[in-house]
Amino acid sequence: MRVNYHPILGKDERKKLVKIVVDGREMMAVKGEPIAAALLANGIRKLRKTRKKGEYRGVFCGIGRCTDCAMIVDEIPNIRTCITPVKEGMQIITQEGLGKWERK
Amino acid sequence: MGEEIIKKSQVVVIGAGPAGLCAAIEARKAGATVLVLDENDRPGGQLFKQIHKFFGSGKHWAGLRGFRIGENLLKEAGQLGVKILLNAEVYGIFDDMTVGYIRNGVEKAIKGERIIIATGGIENALPFPGGTLPGVMGAGGVQTMVNIHRVLPGKKILMVGSGNVGVIVSYQLMQAGAEVVGIVEAAGRVRAYEVHLNKIKRAGVPIYTSHVVKEAIGKDEVEGAIIARVDDNLNIIEGSEKHLDVDCLCIAVGLNPQIELPYIAGCKFSYIPERGGYIPVFDENMETSVKGIYVAGDVAGIEEASIAMEEGRLAGIACAGSLGLYDKETEEKLKKEVKKILRAMRTKHDSRIIHSLTGIPSNDRFEKGPVAVIECKEEIPCNPCESACVFGAIKVGEPITNPPVLFEEKCTGCGRCIPKCPGMAIFLIHKNYTDKTSLIKFPYEYLPVPEKGGLVSCVNRNGEIISRGRIIDIKASKKDDGTKIIAMEIPKEYFNDVRGIQIRGDGI
Ligand SMILES: Cc1cc2nc3c(=O)[nH]c(=O)nc-3n(C[C@H](O)[C@H](O)[C@H](O)COP(=O)(O)OP(=O)(O)OC[C@H]3O[C@@H](n4cnc5c(N)ncnc54)[C@H](O)[C@@H]3O)c2cc1C
Ligand code: FES
Repeated sequence: MRVNYHPILGKDERKKLVKIVVDGREMMAVKGEPIAAALLANGIRKLRKTRKKGEYRGVFCGIGRCTDCAMIVDEIPNIRTCITPVKEGMQIITQEGLGKWERK
Repeated sequence: MGEEIIKKSQVVVIGAGPAGLCAAIEARKAGATVLVLDENDRPGGQLFKQIHKFFGSGKHWAGLRGFRIGENLLKEAGQLGVKILLNAEVYGIFDDMTVGYIRNGVEKAIKGERIIIATGGIENALPFPGGTLPGVMGAGGVQTMVNIHRVLPGKKILMVGSGNVGVIVSYQLMQAGAEVVGIVEAAGRVRAYEVHLNKIKRAGVPIYTSHVVKEAIGKDEVEGAIIARVDDNLNIIEGSEKHLDVDCLCIAVGLNPQIELPYIAGCKFSYIPERGGYIPVFDENMETSVKGIYVAGDVAGIEEASIAMEEGRLAGIACAGSLGLYDKETEEKLKKEVKKILRAMRTKHDSRIIHSLTGIPSNDRFEKGPVAVIECKEEIPCNPCESACVFGAIKVGEPITNPPVLFEEKCTGCGRCIPKCPGMAIFLIHKNYTDKTSLIKFPYEYLPVPEKGGLVSCVNRNGEIISRGRIIDIKASKKDDGTKIIAMEIPKEYFNDVRGIQIRGDGI
């Protein structure tokens, strides 16, 4: 859910949007925001599955420390989505385990 | 920013939070070449997620919102020509005072004659069943998402931990339109400053002291939580479990210093639980056991931004002095000033020492006309109310941790102090507004803003609705930076009870 109006920060004036593709689904993100923020705004909190037990993980620290938010981004696994900005056309995939390195 | 050219800098600062920026500013003022490295893509450390007004001394930006303080520091650093290199993650400090960092995937190094480590703190985690489900987040992460990226991690939130961070982030979540379903605290009492807590209570948030989270429920993500009461030994009391309908748990159980770099550099440590655990030992100049390496801010023990800034200043001045950029006398004079401020801010603000309310007018004074009511009685290092009053009706004095005293005969009822109090603890009350009604003016920072002339539900200090009120006026001045002053007419019998209006959890 986006905070479009805020009593202190005012109206969200960021207008430039980019399109991202998440597990094959197209959605809009605000230019320059971290991938994880865009996903939260689109109601997505499950970002990866653990290797052994297959449990879901999502954003925890939000500052690039805990690696719970790792996903496969443009074919590279283990990208910390909380500190990686979105880009037009970015392909984002829920990561299973350690993920596969698809780019050669 | 031309890192290829800089291979050497007299002072290298690691971390561009309040401590690092202040250290850099002071060292630069003395004429040192200074380079600040930060792994983030924006400078300011914790400051930019903090949208509340800070405590502190009126002389030192108190009463300003955290991100404004950050803006001011960056401006000052920029004007002085401090170089800040972002996206630069420091991974090590070597024997010859070389700092190794990685930027854009490339390894780089810079040699400093002096190194100041200001890497801040890192949040503690809390283990409990379901604690790894998506929807369980650290308070810092929540703050970053909500206040910087402007997305909410959930609609109904349970805050775990009642320290200042937990209580402040709860307030900020409500400002962003979320509902805070409760605050859980294992200890028997709330740990935050009372004025911060009172804001949350007025909003009607239940506070569960002597409670813990037993479990976060949900198959793949958080769908609820079970909390339970604990005894004095923190054992769960069976049968006391309570289910809460929440979709997000926010963990605010303290920070610990981020000490990898002082560790790698070979600094000696000591264990100080009140300051967050293992902390590099430092002397009165903030210099560690390794000559030439200094620490400042949360890495030197978890305290507050205002203290982090002064520690940074001290380290910056001391570095400049030891580089011969100040004569002994000037150095000592500058250090003395900073140390005086540090001492005053640390004059024990033990929140258990509750003073009698020195800011409350007498019954006689209430009869005579509008008057300020200052509901602040803890030892907080804060005094903007004092400088806000041009009539000298509010005194804090020294040390700055004194609770404010109201000189009621001098108070004209102008209300200038209301928006200046970072604790939002000052109200203006005109008891005899009319025969049957009183007028209360109070600070307000939520959405929606009520309509002038409209009828609203009035709440007492615990957020309970006790009467109806009519909005007479709403003042929104640019210099109050988002804090609105609402004037509301209420039945006279409630003049001493009403302290705000009901806010909706769905503010937007
Ligand atoms: C919710 C909340 C509310 C608060 N409210 C108040 C308040 O009302 N008043 C008050 O005075 N204080 C408050 N504080 C505390 C205050 O924010 C901190 O004490 C202060 O930010 C500490 O400053 P610092 O410079 O030491 O660290 P930080 O602000 O944490 O900055 C550290 C910087 O170092 C960088 N860094 C870390 N490691 C590396 C590395 N290896 N390489 C490069 N860079 C690195 C980080 O990116 C960061 O920018 C609050 C804190 C929180 C979380
Ligand atoms: S949420 Fe912790 S690294 Fe991204």
